[in-house]
Amino acid sequence: MRGGNAGADAALRILVVEDEVLIALELECLLDELGHVTVGIAGSSAEAIALGRSAEPDVAFVDIHLVDGPTGVEVARALAADPRITVVFMTANSKRIPADFAGAIGVIAKPYSERVVASILDWVADRRAGRAQQHVAPDGFHFAPAP
Amino acid sequence: MLVDAFARSPSPMVITDARAPDNPISWANDAFLELTGFDADELLGRNCRMLQGLGTDPAEIARIRTAVEAGNPVTAELLNYRKDGSTYWSAMTITPVHDAAGLAYFYAAQADMTHTREREVTMRVTNDELERLVAARTHDLSAALEQKTALLHEVDHRVKNNLQVISSLMLLKARRTPEGDARDALQGMAERIGALSTAHRMLYSEGDCTHFNLGDFAAEFLSDVNAGLDHDKQRVEAEVEPIAVAAAMAAPLALLIHELTANALRHAFPNAREGRVSITARRTEAGMQLTIRDDGVGLAAAAPNPAGFGRNLVEMVVRQLRGTIAWADAGPGTHVEIDIPLQLPA
Repeated sequence: MRGGNAGADAALRILVVEDEVLIALELECLLDELGHVTVGIAGSSAEAIALGRSAEPDVAFVDIHLVDGPTGVEVARALAADPRITVVFMTANSKRIPADFAGAIGVIAKPYSERVVASILDWVADRRAGRAQQHVAPDGFHFAPAP
Repeated sequence: MLVDAFARSPSPMVITDARAPDNPISWANDAFLELTGFDADELLGRNCRMLQGLGTDPAEIARIRTAVEAGNPVTAELLNYRKDGSTYWSAMTITPVHDAAGLAYFYAAQADMTHTREREVTMRVTNDELERLVAARTHDLSAALEQKTALLHEVDHRVKNNLQVISSLMLLKARRTPEGDARDALQGMAERIGALSTAHRMLYSEGDCTHFNLGDFAAEFLSDVNAGLDHDKQRVEAEVEPIAVAAAMAAPLALLIHELTANALRHAFPNAREGRVSITARRTEAGMQLTIRDDGVGLAAAAPNPAGFGRNLVEMVVRQLRGTIAWADAGPGTHVEIDIPLQLPA
């Protein structure tokens, strides 16, 4: 991806919940390139929920499989209970996501494309700023069903 | 004469006296005596209930009694007892007989249903056993299928996760490599893995894991490629029919489309020349035709590339797919036409 398009006002604070260190590290680099800030990387559900409270993230990318098992769904539910956090699943195991998406707005399927990550963050930034949606949701992204 | 015919009949018959107290047997033929094992003098004057026992169905007895008390005809099937205590199944029709003074007799013709009954019971046991076996087998098969599905999901999940790790690894190394050939190579490899990843992501998403929709892939691939381009200068377009190809062809086709598109973008437009790359795929009689065309500088004018890995890769993949490839200077630009045979869907 050639350069991020998030201006200073659109920079999001992002919590990465991912047990695979390499994936987390590369995602952090990508987010940095896109002009966002990674406020924490959590590999387990306990870490993820603790960081969700302390690091004040705007967005959480949540994998389903973590160090302590398929606990990403619980993590999503706990984080989404805080209205300030937008939860997005990022997983190679979409079939484990419950019908109500556990409070997440949708899922980025792994292996993800950088374009999809970038555009969903633009979409979230627009929504948080109360702007009209300039960005349509990318085709590689699957929204949770409307509640 | 009629009585003689009844007496000689092989069907057991009995007549009771409806006017005598307790409706006693007043006549029985030889067949009846033979069936029950009693002598005539042991039966005459007694009610038919003497033939019943513990195994006789009380509900069926009550049904007969109700009909007899009302003077109605009735058909019934009873388990009866012989003199020696053995049992037989008796199907009977009981008919009231009237004379000038009213109800006089009951006439009962019987048939020994023991064999039929036994066969029914055997059949029922056999059926029950068969049903039990089928249920057990179905249960085993469902469990095996469930296990297989779980395994498929698990493998699918692992493949995707590993592709993600490989891709992340390449990109991480690329970021830490100074600008130049090495970095370009790493980024190129990451993009190839990205194309394979897109193909794999689409492979199981629709539930059909035996086919791959080339149209869906092209749409996703196009978005990924165009996201990385300066739209004022270059653009990739696609016109790809929704062709369903075998899953095994997904990866090579994805690589092929990626390689040719990336090649065109890399070589056709030097010095920020403006241009367009178009990808088309359509069904042909024998399979499909894939065309990648650009309006750039053309094959002859492009800087010679001694390594030529991209072109090499393309030719290898085309060979793997048993296809043919033709490169041509289209003036302007380059035109690559690939014919790939497809097995027609059954």
